[in-house]
Amino acid sequence: MVPAQQLPNPMPATARDRPFLEPAYCKGCLRCVEVCPKGCIAPGTAVFPGTGLIPVELRLDACNGCGLCIGACPEPFGLRPESEVAHAAEAYCLKDPTELFGEKVVDGPPSRDQPAEAIALEDCQALVIKGTYASAIGAVLAGCRHVFGYPITPSTEGAELMAKMLPKLGGAFVQAVSEVAAVNMMYGAGAAGLPSMTFTSSPGFSLMLEGISYMIGAEVPGVFVNIMRGGPGLGNIGPEQADIKLACRGLGHGNTHALVLAPSTPQEMLDLTMEAFALSFRYRNPVVVLGDGYLGQMTGAVRLPARMLRPGLPAWSVWGDRAHRTNLICSIYLAEEDLEAHNLRLEAKYAAIGADEQRADPYRCEDARVLVVACNTPARMAKGAVETAREQGIAAGLFRPVTIWPFPIDALKEALPHVDHLVVVEASPGQLEDEMRLALSHAGITPPPITSVRRLGGILPQQSEILAGIRETQEVRV
Amino acid sequence: MSTFYDHFERHGHGKGLADHTTHYCPGCGHGLAHRDLAAAIDELGVQDRTVLINPVGCSVFAYYYFDVGNTQAAHGRAPAVALGHKLSNPDSVVICYQGDGDLASIGLAETISAAQMGVPITVIFINNGIYGMTGGQMAPTSLIGQRTTTSPNGRHPWMGQPLRVAELIAELDGPVYVERVALYDAKQRFRARKAITKAIRMQVEGRGYAFVEVLSECPTHLKATAVSAEEWIRTQMEPIFPLGVKKDRVVEPWFKRPARSFDPETVLALCGAEPADNGDGGGRAPRHPLGARDRSVKLAGSGGDGAQTAGLLIARAAIAEGFDATHIPSYGPESRGGTSYADVHIADLEVFNPSASEPDILVAFNAPSLARFAPSVPEGGVILYDSTVIKEPGEMPYNRRILGVPFTGIAAGLQRPMVKNLAALGALQAATDLLPAPRFLETLREVLKDKPSTLPVNEAAFAAGQRAVAGMRG
Ligand code: SF4
Ligand code: SF4
Ligand code: SF4
Repeated sequence: MVPAQQLPNPMPATARDRPFLEPAYCKGCLRCVEVCPKGCIAPGTAVFPGTGLIPVELRLDACNGCGLCIGACPEPFGLRPESEVAHAAEAYCLKDPTELFGEKVVDGPPSRDQPAEAIALEDCQALVIKGTYASAIGAVLAGCRHVFGYPITPSTEGAELMAKMLPKLGGAFVQAVSEVAAVNMMYGAGAAGLPSMTFTSSPGFSLMLEGISYMIGAEVPGVFVNIMRGGPGLGNIGPEQADIKLACRGLGHGNTHALVLAPSTPQEMLDLTMEAFALSFRYRNPVVVLGDGYLGQMTGAVRLPARMLRPGLPAWSVWGDRAHRTNLICSIYLAEEDLEAHNLRLEAKYAAIGADEQRADPYRCEDARVLVVACNTPARMAKGAVETAREQGIAAGLFRPVTIWPFPIDALKEALPHVDHLVVVEASPGQLEDEMRLALSHAGITPPPITSVRRLGGILPQQSEILAGIRETQEVRV
Repeated sequence: MSTFYDHFERHGHGKGLADHTTHYCPGCGHGLAHRDLAAAIDELGVQDRTVLINPVGCSVFAYYYFDVGNTQAAHGRAPAVALGHKLSNPDSVVICYQGDGDLASIGLAETISAAQMGVPITVIFINNGIYGMTGGQMAPTSLIGQRTTTSPNGRHPWMGQPLRVAELIAELDGPVYVERVALYDAKQRFRARKAITKAIRMQVEGRGYAFVEVLSECPTHLKATAVSAEEWIRTQMEPIFPLGVKKDRVVEPWFKRPARSFDPETVLALCGAEPADNGDGGGRAPRHPLGARDRSVKLAGSGGDGAQTAGLLIARAAIAEGFDATHIPSYGPESRGGTSYADVHIADLEVFNPSASEPDILVAFNAPSLARFAPSVPEGGVILYDSTVIKEPGEMPYNRRILGVPFTGIAAGLQRPMVKNLAALGALQAATDLLPAPRFLETLREVLKDKPSTLPVNEAAFAAGQRAVAGMRG
């Protein structure tokens, strides 16, 4: 250990200064009293009216300017070296430290939004890749260079591809100690204003919910690709859609929502992941891409877009330079009225998302009397079933929500007038149906009879089962 | 004192005394640590670059005071948030300021793993032996016998013994500098300031992760005056938490991150994208339409049979031929026990159902797979099986074309057991005309372009598979 006398004086400018104290800023803790070798500081005797505390009293006749008292004071504006206090004597009655302690260094120019830049890509042959890879490539094309994750089947291949690609792009893939750490690394990268993402699957997504709530509260962007597997608990690694409830209604504690996108092909895994980054920054909110285990593993043709992006830097980011120095990312609002106002702002944002970002892919809905509602891989089986039903003379159609939150109620409403029956197809115990029913109810629509085709436990509804579900509606009507 | 705001606008909206006083209790060690931190940032001239990660605990509001970039983290997660910041902007100076509940209890995993990564961040750990913000509960660093609201009769060893975090961190390979300091007298305060400055310098110079544990007074929950709290730290805490440098490794600056690259050519190369050719540019128009129905293939065998590779090859070839195609590996309970099934679909325009529960073509590499899936092949379908390993195919459904081809035998003849899947593909091509043979071969060349030496034996297996089927026709 270094002997004390060799320690550099940490306050060189103030070494021989006498102390100065504005009594209003003294909390009367007496740490300075104890330390003064000359007995210059005494416990006060009078309560200071503004604070209700008893400031110490300074009698500096014997003071040698050793500075020990200043070093003992925990308050930033407590005991201070006289030299730092411009015109201390005259300014004694002033309360404004700008005058008291002199003007501070001038701040740099305030930050401005640096927009993203589109970079043209040459025309390429279709890739033949699996869904998780397509999603990873979509993220890279969206400009994401920071991926944080924890291995979990069946989403890990996305992370593995990122671990391969990102070091060659000046980016970083970090395998975090847990999903809890991973989501918080995303929080940090998002707070710095950069796009980041994770690949996870249901149990991992559960662990990330705390962090997602913080991200929503602090309005930090980030993209979560959740390749849903069978639950609850450890469940299995088969495909399920039973995180719809979590993604749409259960993103951690508090008043939270995030856009939830539901791709149904490897192509959409790429397109919607790219889109998710744009939406995430447009709304300063996390975005969830929900796939099922099948979609993550499924290989298909994937065309690359005409452009990729170099992300900009938002004005609000805590980047770590002069222009962004005054920024703050946080979700704490101590005063109730402040927190209420913050929540109302979030509500307004959710309402704007609800109005502007509904997406659906209706197929043969124009004249459909039986409307099948399905998303993700089950929507593909449903499309096959609709085709077969049409061949059999049944006017069937497929309504495929591409956003599950917000549920594309406007498009559904358009299709409904001639529909006699809704058949909701899902690999979940009715979570998609609940979203639809809630949206119908909020829109004041009384739907036609609703039946369902559901499988659970890692099994997707098969085309034949969906066809049977469609045909059943005809029997009911006879 | 430029690193502190001139006005604490964020403290009580800057009204009245809140504008210039902290929210900390009189005599709280946090104020001293704040002054040390501010002085260190000033001395190093890194105010503009600093990002302070505010924890959960009494210092949750550090951003009221520090005129630097501020991010407030969830309880215990500050090191993870710090890493997100540091990796995003390696030039930023990222400082985690955390209390004992935050760092040593709920955030222990994040703390240890960030330290072991060694990425240059600076962690200031305020150890006051108690939970301040939530009201005086037991901390992981509370002393044995210490009375807290959750250890009203004193901490018993079974409640956990006081955790010496600085020593724990110093044991790790990641950190370069670890010290424990205190604030109870002038000498310790000098050391504290020096340690905090050094810990930040380690980061500024790109040398690595640094950690300073500060034994700090919480007079409020010790139910003591500030001065007797100082005494308590000196006499009670210090013997359990000895002060001093725990690690000081001489490390040359190493932390340098490359700039993020957005070069389109690099990106495309990493994606494995090939420039479009104007010939049969995949996915545009199939050359040999299949008709309204899509075709499905199931390849079933055990792990080493290469069913997935063959399935992917069919899908790739089909897409290159202008079809839509999907491949999906076996998924769910039946994938256990080393079995491996690949489902492939090919369609003119769009594959609907990607799983092949009723495959038009079945390729079975072993007897259990054949027995299991043959009954699911619809009428008019084709069943190919490995006649080297399946001597007795058993009873097969009627009105299906059933072909036993010695996949394993062909591969063995080529001295390369691995290529039996190519023999199977050749047989499939010859038996079904699903896709033209040159397309398969071209796709094979593409797939093996990084291992050209293996191409001839794969081609030979494919051709032998074709010949075997042609021979049966003849
Ligand atoms: S500067 Fe030294 S002598 Fe003067 S009041 Fe402070 S502690 Fe006492
Ligand atoms: S140390 Fe500071 S706050 Fe405490 S009594 Fe002295 S002047 Fe007042
Ligand atoms: S409760 Fe303790 S740690 Fe918190 S501000 Fe008060 S004295 Fe400081």
